[in-house]
Amino acid sequence: MADLFPPLATAQIDAKTKVDEKVDYSNLPCPVPYEELHREAIMTLKADNFEGLRFDFSKGLSQKFSLSHSVMMGPTEVPSQSPDTTIKIPTAHYEFGANYYDPKLVLMGRVMTDGRLNARVKADLTDKLILKANALLTNEPHMSHAMFNFDYMGSDYRAQLQLGNSALIGATYIQSVTPRLSLGGEVFWAGVPRKSGIGYAARYETDKMVATAQVASIGSLSMNYVQKISDKVSLATDFVYNYFSRDVAASVGYDYILRQSRVRGKIDSNGVASALLEERLSMGLNFLLSAELDHKKKDYKFGFGLTVGQ
Amino acid sequence: MAKRIGGAGKSGGGDSNILAWISNSEIVSQGRRAAGDAVGVSKKLIWSTGKAAWIAGTTFLILVVPLIIEMDREAQLNEIDLQQASLLGAPASPVQRGM
Repeated sequence: MADLFPPLATAQIDAKTKVDEKVDYSNLPCPVPYEELHREAIMTLKADNFEGLRFDFSKGLSQKFSLSHSVMMGPTEVPSQSPDTTIKIPTAHYEFGANYYDPKLVLMGRVMTDGRLNARVKADLTDKLILKANALLTNEPHMSHAMFNFDYMGSDYRAQLQLGNSALIGATYIQSVTPRLSLGGEVFWAGVPRKSGIGYAARYETDKMVATAQVASIGSLSMNYVQKISDKVSLATDFVYNYFSRDVAASVGYDYILRQSRVRGKIDSNGVASALLEERLSMGLNFLLSAELDHKKKDYKFGFGLTVGQ
Repeated sequence: MAKRIGGAGKSGGGDSNILAWISNSEIVSQGRRAAGDAVGVSKKLIWSTGKAAWIAGTTFLILVVPLIIEMDREAQLNEIDLQQASLLGAPASPVQRGM
């Protein structure tokens, strides 16, 4: 919910600063981070639809420190043998979180009643080098993990080094080639399920559209395209293909940001239509309505929620 | 069928023989079969059209109806703003908002 309005605005400011009458190749803009290549498409197409009730409350204790409480109730799916049927069991969770925001340091902690603990750190070591750390502790064995990312931001490139537990090492690099086109690559090596891979990505953006494509040696190809009709309306489509499992999925969606609300809708090639409506009732009080229809499985999910605070 | 033909024959008259002959004829039985097939096909067609209409209708209800309602509300809000602006005497400039 925190990302309801600001990210698109910052993205647009980024785009607006790229005024280019004459291409100056020694003064190219800094590209977006490699893992956020398709952030516009994700914002439109990956709305977090939920089922059941959700209540989020956050309260700032001081300018930098805030606490959050959230309650989730509703059915959760458990994996079953046959792919056509889904088994749902009713669950309820409470999540407690503490956040510390500072321009140079962000600390976030989350504890859930099912025993999961999530901690995130984002620290600006210098104004070019950023450290991000993420740790997840669970009471299930072998599900806990930790990850450290070092991001280096150059004038027209970004590089990232990732270190994770179970001997995971990865690196990404992305470079602006022209003011609109940026190309990048990644390598990773995982020690425990002995695996390594390499991937390439390209991103082309103008003020009106963003197109990205990404391939990886694990056999995945993903492409997406976002058309910004105006600064409040965008349409997006994506296509994902896996060479080894021969899975193909495509989806198309819209994102309308209105003064009092935000509506996101999506329909995909598996016959799933989903929509998320975020309505601002008053200052700091948001009402959520989520719907997801899976026509193929006859699985219909509806949810409503309230977000208080922020 | 045979019983009816026999009964008709007993009461006499060439008409019933002709009727029996007609009802047993190739064209009529073919027609009857075709009619049966047509009913079956149209039943299937109606059922699948109904299913398609159901999917299209529910998808429309989920994806489009909320959007229409929200856009209508937005238009109303803009109108109220414009009215207030004109009441207060401020010059209602057309490029007041982003949209």
